Amino acid sequence: MLKSKVLMVKTRSGKILKIVREHYLRDDIDNGLNGVDLDDHPMLENDLISSEHYIIPDTNVVLKQMDVLEHSCMRNVIILQTVMRETKHRSAPIYKRLRTITQNKDKKFHVFTNEHSIDTWCERRPKESSNDYNDRFIRVATQFYNECLSERNQKAVLLTNDKANCDLAKKEGLLAVTVEDYVRNIVGFPELLDKLAKADEAMEVDKSISYPEHLKLSQLQTGIKSGRFKQGKLNISRQNYLEGKVLPQGEGSKEILIQGRMHLNRAVNEDIVAVEMLPENQWSLPSDVILDVSVQPGAEISESHAEDLKKKHGIPTGKVVGIIKRSWRSYCGILESFGSPDMTRHLFTPAERRIPRIRIETRQAKLLIGQRIVVAIDSWPRFSKYPQGHFVKALGEIGDKDTENKVLLLEHDVAHEPFSQAVLNCLPSANWSIPDEELRKREDLRGLPICSVDPPGCTDIDDCLHLREWTDGNLEVGVHIADVTHFIRPGTALDIEARSRGTTVYLCDKRIDMVPELLSSNLCSLRDDGDRLAFSCIWVMNHNAEIISTRFCKSVIRSKASMTYAQAQMLIDDATQNDDVTIGLRGLNKLAKILKARRTLNGALSLSSPEVRFHVDSETHDPIDLETKKLRDTNSMVEEFMLLANCSVAEKIQKEFSDCAVLRRHPEPPKSNFDVLVNAARTRGLELSINTSRELALSLDEAEKPAENVHPYISVLLRILATRCMYQAVYFCSGLESDFRHYGLAAPIYTHFTSPIRRYSDIMVHRLLAASIGADSTFSDLLNKQEIQQICNNLNFRHRMAQYAQRASVALHTQMFFRGKMVDEQGFIIVVRKNAVQVLIPKYGLEGTVFLDRDHQGNAVGTSNLEYNEDACEIVANGVLLKVFDEVTVQISHDASNIQHQRINLHLMKPKIEGISAP
Amino acid sequence: MSSSTIVIKAPSKRRNNPIYAHASEVFLVTPGDVITEDADYMRGHGTYTNAGDEDNKLYASVAGVVERINKLVCVKALKTRYNGEVGDVVVGRIKEVQQKRWKVETNSRLDSTLQISSVNLPGGELRRRSAADELTMREYLKEGDLISAEVQQVHNDGMLSLHTRSLRYGKLGQGCCVVVSPSLIKRRKNHIHNLPCGATTILANNGYIWISITSGDACNEGDGGFNVNKEPVPLEEREVVCRLKNCIQCLAKSSVMLYDTSVLYAYESSLQYQVKEIMSEKVSLEIVNQTISLLEREKTGDG
Amino acid sequence: MAGLELISDQGYRIDGRKPTELRQIRCRLGVFTQADGSSYVEQGNTKVLASIYGPHEPSSNMRSKISHDKCIINCEYSQASFSSAERKHRPRGDRKSLDMAAHIKQTFESCIHTTLYPRSQIDIFLQILQSDGSNYCACVNAATLAIVDAGIAMKDYVCACSASLAKGTTLVDINHVEESAGCAELSAAVMPKLNKIVYSELNGRLHEDEIGKVLDSVVLGCNDMFAVMERTVREHVEETVSNFTHS
Repeated sequence: MLKSKVLMVKTRSGKILKIVREHYLRDDIDNGLNGVDLDDHPMLENDLISSEHYIIPDTNVVLKQMDVLEHSCMRNVIILQTVMRETKHRSAPIYKRLRTITQNKDKKFHVFTNEHSIDTWCERRPKESSNDYNDRFIRVATQFYNECLSERNQKAVLLTNDKANCDLAKKEGLLAVTVEDYVRNIVGFPELLDKLAKADEAMEVDKSISYPEHLKLSQLQTGIKSGRFKQGKLNISRQNYLEGKVLPQGEGSKEILIQGRMHLNRAVNEDIVAVEMLPENQWSLPSDVILDVSVQPGAEISESHAEDLKKKHGIPTGKVVGIIKRSWRSYCGILESFGSPDMTRHLFTPAERRIPRIRIETRQAKLLIGQRIVVAIDSWPRFSKYPQGHFVKALGEIGDKDTENKVLLLEHDVAHEPFSQAVLNCLPSANWSIPDEELRKREDLRGLPICSVDPPGCTDIDDCLHLREWTDGNLEVGVHIADVTHFIRPGTALDIEARSRGTTVYLCDKRIDMVPELLSSNLCSLRDDGDRLAFSCIWVMNHNAEIISTRFCKSVIRSKASMTYAQAQMLIDDATQNDDVTIGLRGLNKLAKILKARRTLNGALSLSSPEVRFHVDSETHDPIDLETKKLRDTNSMVEEFMLLANCSVAEKIQKEFSDCAVLRRHPEPPKSNFDVLVNAARTRGLELSINTSRELALSLDEAEKPAENVHPYISVLLRILATRCMYQAVYFCSGLESDFRHYGLAAPIYTHFTSPIRRYSDIMVHRLLAASIGADSTFSDLLNKQEIQQICNNLNFRHRMAQYAQRASVALHTQMFFRGKMVDEQGFIIVVRKNAVQVLIPKYGLEGTVFLDRDHQGNAVGTSNLEYNEDACEIVANGVLLKVFDEVTVQISHDASNIQHQRINLHLMKPKIEGISAP
Repeated sequence: MSSSTIVIKAPSKRRNNPIYAHASEVFLVTPGDVITEDADYMRGHGTYTNAGDEDNKLYASVAGVVERINKLVCVKALKTRYNGEVGDVVVGRIKEVQQKRWKVETNSRLDSTLQISSVNLPGGELRRRSAADELTMREYLKEGDLISAEVQQVHNDGMLSLHTRSLRYGKLGQGCCVVVSPSLIKRRKNHIHNLPCGATTILANNGYIWISITSGDACNEGDGGFNVNKEPVPLEEREVVCRLKNCIQCLAKSSVMLYDTSVLYAYESSLQYQVKEIMSEKVSLEIVNQTISLLEREKTGDG
Repeated sequence: MAGLELISDQGYRIDGRKPTELRQIRCRLGVFTQADGSSYVEQGNTKVLASIYGPHEPSSNMRSKISHDKCIINCEYSQASFSSAERKHRPRGDRKSLDMAAHIKQTFESCIHTTLYPRSQIDIFLQILQSDGSNYCACVNAATLAIVDAGIAMKDYVCACSASLAKGTTLVDINHVEESAGCAELSAAVMPKLNKIVYSELNGRLHEDEIGKVLDSVVLGCNDMFAVMERTVREHVEETVSNFTHS
């Protein structure tokens, strides 16, 4: 049967259109009641409802009580199409979760397409609001299910918190229950009660605070359209959690500063908000103060800051008038131990400093104090200082390494569960060997002197090299990369999981693999214990490292040796070794040096970061010593050829697939980014030229020359500072972008090809390259620009998160290393702020803040005796001058006073400052 | 003056008119249907074979009824343009005056031609056509004139050559023309009828039906000549012509075959109604039903 | 892909159809009495009127194209200004109309027995009253029925259908919403009894592996279309024939 849906739609230009759509009603829609095996999946028992029953939740229940629905005891639930549609419309993340549950067969959630079923269709009454219409749909469907189930003596229960809907349902003779009542009366699962999200009115009112009301969405939209409000994402400052910036949409907009609790008006980090600009005389400056939650919770702008404003012009400032889209997720953290554990209301402090504290209600407080828990935010009413939330799950004890690792991974959205069965099913068996067919199809390079050079303890060997001299004097150089795409076929569960993970994450003590270990450490890894499948890039070069020709092929190789950097270096240096692998290594080393010099001449930047490696005690897995990464010749050698391979592959795939190649670019930073660096260098009499990367590279090299008043380590510091001025390099799809350049490497085109075991982008590049040499077939997603760009966006996100997670892991281990120790060490001032300096300690690769406005016991001392000179990057504290790049001595200690944010404290020892330094 | 009433009807559901109770056992085909696979049959209109095919399948190319006459198979389409045959009477309108002929539009695939040598010019039949005649063609027949003629010849491409070399044919006037589908006109010996009610009809094979008053003399106004009587025609005679026209249109709408008898019966059945009432659906159905029953009776009476 | 889900997890499209189902089809022959052949076709909310004039003497502006052994087909396509959601005045002879007309002309030139009507002209006039996707297909179907009504000789019916690919499933008979979702759309006109493809058109890009699948489902859709059209024609013919009195 055919019905028509007529809607009136307003277009962007303001025209009103009448849209007519067909709407077919069917009589063959499955209601999901058949095939229920009650023995395997017993129905939920509930004191309120006498018979066995199915639950039908309405939209608000799904939106707010997702955690309850995800609990394993909730089964036999019918999700109506109306509810799914509304959920999708209102919240994409909840919709995703809903879909995951419905696709999980064990949960017995059935989606019933009620809007197309002739039995449950209702026509919209004139002047009926869409909410009422949807509610009626839900009631009619419940009625239908009641009738279907009556012969089995089962019932259908409508779960709704909407009072009006409840009343109407009861009038129609339906069983309707609110979620609280239902959950309270469930037999056998009392923990569900904690997972309940609270309704707005439930919580007590904080007399002290009253936030301004949020405007309605329609008012916000008209405001944005008329230009009165600006829309953008809120970024809370890492230094000061009561301050944030909003970058409005639209080209050429400047960031708007939001300061203070009232102006933030209950907006949480990453929410999309609508901001109203304050008048110019109220414009403010971002506070130079580093606001530390533990020391001064809830502090507002200081007076010195207000004085500052009189000197300089403020930047555009505004206040939040409404929230357009919330970006709430689940947060890890701990319960504050206020009050007695018998109380049910507690405050939860998230690990992420930019999120405010959350009030939750739980009966298990005694159990949970001392544990890391996960909490989700439900709402933030006007009269409550903190947002309301509910408990989701507990992770484990605070301080326990596994728990802390879990927190780290959760906060950075790194998937770390073991691979699902579906993924493992895609793997070949453990005793897989190369089939004859592959041997025939590929080039046999097993006779070549191939070897691999990797960090010690590395099991996932991606790449091998070889070099051979030909009789005509030219050199044949080959880079062989593990042929991962042979095992990971597109579209399989394995491929989808790898795509979602994006990259392997290397924590200090753990490695979260992107692909299962069977592949990464065994079948794909180019170990020296047999034949392996590889993807080879072979150049013919002359002795001056100029490429004469390039070719790519799929091959079979046999690595002669898997060495560490140290071993390879020893072989090269040992004149007695003269086998073909060593000769190859020496040749590669020579070429690498030439390549590196050429790159630097072109403007490639070699920046450094204080990388440090932990020695981990093999039993307790606690760090026992730190070791700074030493760069040897062989590191550089491997790196040079990897870069060369990446460049050659980039050129090839761009030529073949100009529309959909996966490439990597590094946008050039604007000159203003370098201001801090140039200023700092100038204080030491060094002029850095930043016009092109070449000039920057050359001037950084100049700085290495010994000079008066210039400590030799300063050149390293300059490089470290330079790294911070850069943008991130990103993956992109060539059809959607015109600027391919990689600023940092000074390469016109670049991609990632050499590490497919640990990066998904390399897998995509492998597929493109294989298609271009005819070694593999294409498939439709390979050539779809939009798909590729979306995947690149996800990869960029995962890459960033992995970096943050890695840094957090290093920080965690550093803290654990310094537990119970107090060490004095040399450091350099790297940044000067108004109330503190940031010091870098090269030995440990550690960077921390030395506060100048408190004494060594943490008590505030006041800033009256501080004179800060921003342009000269110096500060005078109690008469002592501290300049950027000054060498200082600091005392490093571990501070466990804040359980969640255990930290490393640095106290200034030399130069000694009265009242601040430690005695 | 009599007042006129205007009746506006809302659109009503179309009714299928299953007037004919008995089912015809006819073989209906639609384009692409296989009629027969026998190679013996000769192909007629409305059929075709695929040259490349081995099995000699005969396909229909139009939708209609299959007619089998001995070994000839053809498919008669429900509605076609007029396909002329030698000896048919046609009524057509002058479309163009060309050098030595007129182009006549006759509801067929191509326009028919009327050569100057095929008409009776004043001055006798056997007069030689002179140059002067050519120049004065327009005086005899100009664009827009209605003529009745007979098909003299059918060319290869289907174009018809007409002639009016008889006193029965010529320019038509003082009457009205009704257009129906050519398939509704029954093939008879005679197509020009003088009906007892006082009107003359020409039921031309190409679907153009001409109704006029019977003039005094034995022959039609056509006269072989080109003069048309331009006297005003009295009201009663005009009514007769009108009534006939309406009846013919009713019959055409219900797809009843048109020939002198059926037209006459329809006329007689309509006498009880006013002329303008005949056009209403109810009345026209009445008339048609009566006509058919009269025809049936006649047939059963005959055979 | 887009925010709009073209096919739900349960396998239903936006309007409730399954992927292989056609929309509701209504057609009628012999709508106008003054044209030689006419028809009206509704495919869901796409409504088309077709009228055929011919074969007749070529009109003056077509004199140049007279062919001594075939008839010329003249096709005109127009969309009423009220046919889409936004009222838009479409002048005669604009690019899209001419394109569509040329495609339809091309389709029918291979199906009508043009050699039977030398030196004549057949006019096909198509008017879209309401446009909701698959315009070309509805036009071809309407024109076929009108040609059958006019008694012009054809080799076979010409049935047209469209299909698109969403999330790996082929959707048959695309409506406007599915068209604007941006997936590739394949339309094809097929002679069902002879099993030949007369015309096919692809908007958008399809991967080599997928095109076979989509083409197959289009052909199946055309066969379904044919069943409906054949039934209509037969009913019409039976009704008309039963009205003829034969002596």
